[in-house]
Amino acid sequence: MEVEYSSKYFPKKLRNIKNFPQKIYVLGNIEIINNFGIAIIGSRSCSTYGEKMAKLFAQRLSKYKINIISGMARGVDKYAHLATIENKGSTIAVLPSGFNKIYPKENEYIVNKILDAGGAVISEYEPDEMVKSKNFIERNRIVSALSDGILIIEGGYRSGTAVTARIAKEQNKKIFCVPSSLENPKGLVPNKLIHEGAALVRNEEDIIENFDNIEKRKSEEYEKINFSNINESFIMDFLEDEIGIDEIVKKSNLKIEEVNYQLTMLQLMNKIEQLPGKRYRRIV
Amino acid sequence: MISNIYTIALSGLSATLIEVQTCLALGIPKFEIVGLPDIAIKESKERITFAIKNSEIQFPSMKIIVNLSPADVKKEGSSYDLPIAIGILQNIGKIKNNVTNNCVFIGELGLDGKIYKVNGALSMCIEAKKYGMKKIILPKENMYEAAFVDGIEILPVENLKQVIEYLNGIQKIEYVPKKVEKLLNLEKDYEYKFEDIYGQENVKRALEISASGNHNCLISGIPGVGKTILSKTISSILPDLSFEEALEITQIYSASGKLKDGEIICTRPFCAPHHTISTSSMIGGGKKPMPGEITLAHFGVLYLDELAEFKKDTLEALREPLQDKRIMINRVNYNLEYPSNFMLIASMNPCPCGYYGSIKKECTCTALQRKKYIEKISGPFLDRIDLKAYAMEIEYEKISKQYKNNGETSKSVKQRVTRAREIQNDRYKNEKINTNSELTSELIQRYCEIDNYSNSLLRQAYDKFNLSIRGYNKILKVARTIADLEETEKINVKHIAEAIQYRCQENENGSRI
Repeated sequence: MEVEYSSKYFPKKLRNIKNFPQKIYVLGNIEIINNFGIAIIGSRSCSTYGEKMAKLFAQRLSKYKINIISGMARGVDKYAHLATIENKGSTIAVLPSGFNKIYPKENEYIVNKILDAGGAVISEYEPDEMVKSKNFIERNRIVSALSDGILIIEGGYRSGTAVTARIAKEQNKKIFCVPSSLENPKGLVPNKLIHEGAALVRNEEDIIENFDNIEKRKSEEYEKINFSNINESFIMDFLEDEIGIDEIVKKSNLKIEEVNYQLTMLQLMNKIEQLPGKRYRRIV
Repeated sequence: MISNIYTIALSGLSATLIEVQTCLALGIPKFEIVGLPDIAIKESKERITFAIKNSEIQFPSMKIIVNLSPADVKKEGSSYDLPIAIGILQNIGKIKNNVTNNCVFIGELGLDGKIYKVNGALSMCIEAKKYGMKKIILPKENMYEAAFVDGIEILPVENLKQVIEYLNGIQKIEYVPKKVEKLLNLEKDYEYKFEDIYGQENVKRALEISASGNHNCLISGIPGVGKTILSKTISSILPDLSFEEALEITQIYSASGKLKDGEIICTRPFCAPHHTISTSSMIGGGKKPMPGEITLAHFGVLYLDELAEFKKDTLEALREPLQDKRIMINRVNYNLEYPSNFMLIASMNPCPCGYYGSIKKECTCTALQRKKYIEKISGPFLDRIDLKAYAMEIEYEKISKQYKNNGETSKSVKQRVTRAREIQNDRYKNEKINTNSELTSELIQRYCEIDNYSNSLLRQAYDKFNLSIRGYNKILKVARTIADLEETEKINVKHIAEAIQYRCQENENGSRI
């Protein structure tokens, strides 16, 4: 759907910025765009820590009536969108290219997922326009404009994340940062921003308490099965850190069939998650 | 006078009875063979001439015509030497007239009259019996495989002289057949066993389930963790061959000349072709029809190491045989059907650099590269794989020899597997299938009943892991096998939950690999 600046559907949030787009293209639910939103942005080549944090915050924030906004890029953006969809939250993706030339191509499937979940996908470019390097920065100004606060997960030296943070500052948006280890090269931007006075967040409440009137979503509980007979504490003890299935078998002295069974159950209970390489970890 | 001697022509695994008609006449000495012989048969003239001379019999200086009837069947190979020689000898009166009735001759001659082994002797014996023949005279080296056939007198011979003396009643041929059943039940020594491998419980369990239900299995893992050796251990837990199975396998190996020292095959074959293999050597074919690796792996294991490196069309060609358990090879010159009831074990790395998911070394591939790598294997091919296992990295101290506790031995696993196979044979005796892997969706409904509790678990897993209907059916099939391993009749929630672990592996691309 094409929305001109003059249209009544044109998002209010976009009218107020300097160099606003003349028109935007929208797929999906246009009405949610004016709702309260938090942008989750970060490195395209994030570390496993970054991935974990992106998923964690997206998941926790989607418990509230909040749009999770991001750029559908690789890395943090993608994880933020997917984790929101998985938790039945609404999410908005702003693309750096036209709808027929989605970039990056491997994330094309996320568009359908977002639309199915009642989210929206926005682009200010003509449907057939290819991606150009200047588009990324233009895209970032819209990401920032649509959000009320911006959460930075990871970003390296001279990264797009740093640029978005600067734009957000110019637009007077509240900036939140997830701290990183000093050894993490991708922790440079958030740590620097914290140093300069941005808010350090430890959990989702550190973000929520800055705004008024944010309601929790009603969570839809569907028929759950009874997991009471799972002796969860037993295996959970080993899952403090990432651990391979072989280690679990060895440490627990259980038979592999029993371990397989319990792992599936814990996964279905959302207590643990599986990582690449048949390793598991606890969901905090 | 015309003499009629019987022999057998082989094409693929089936055979035709051939009458060798020999006629001698006065005239300019010459020796002619007609009836679509190939070059090996045409050359046999020289071998036969000297074999007879060297058996202290004068070769007739007459016009000799040999006709191989039916004349429109192509005849190949060197097994016609002996019947032709016998035909000539009968014509010149060195062999009595009626002693060759109901007797089949096969064998290649040397210049000194020695008789050498031929390919496909077992199939020939089976076919000779079908045609109502009473005796078969064959090379001594082929006598072991012939032990499979009873109801026909097997007469192994070493040289032409011996055959002549036997036929004229001067000498008897002694032959005591080996008991095939005894050989099959012998304790075999396997190269790699479960107890040789430390840890990897998750892969071992996957192999155990695969072996029990004849499920195809894919093992992924970073380079050097022992995927190949792990896969080879499967031979040590597969149930022993039955008589019929051993017979079929020996027939195939005999026909393709792959029997070592004329022994019979009494272990399940393990075929591990290199990934540069051509499509026709994989599925069979060639100018002279030869069985491919999938047929050589009949009733055994076809192991494809580095699955993603195989040529795409070679892998795609495996789709039908994986489904139908047999392969039709159609060429201009022949149409053949070979059996190919094999179990597929494949292994591959998780990404091009090999280290995705490793804790020691970081993966240098991009998400797109990983996706492309996995997409090399087509969806329909992956659909035929029921279990996915992951081989873990092993830390140094575990490699060292002090570690003794290596878990269960192959022997005890094999007992469970054998029992599970028996249960399946029993359950499916009225169906056309033998194992759980062959269950169709209709049969799954009949044989894989689950209770409400398991049903709601599956429903939840269906949502959480984005399963497809096919994935759902596979979980049920594998759960059926796990229940059979435990010898329980009903599938319960534990079986389902374990099957889910072998279906859903965490991967960037969701549920594909």
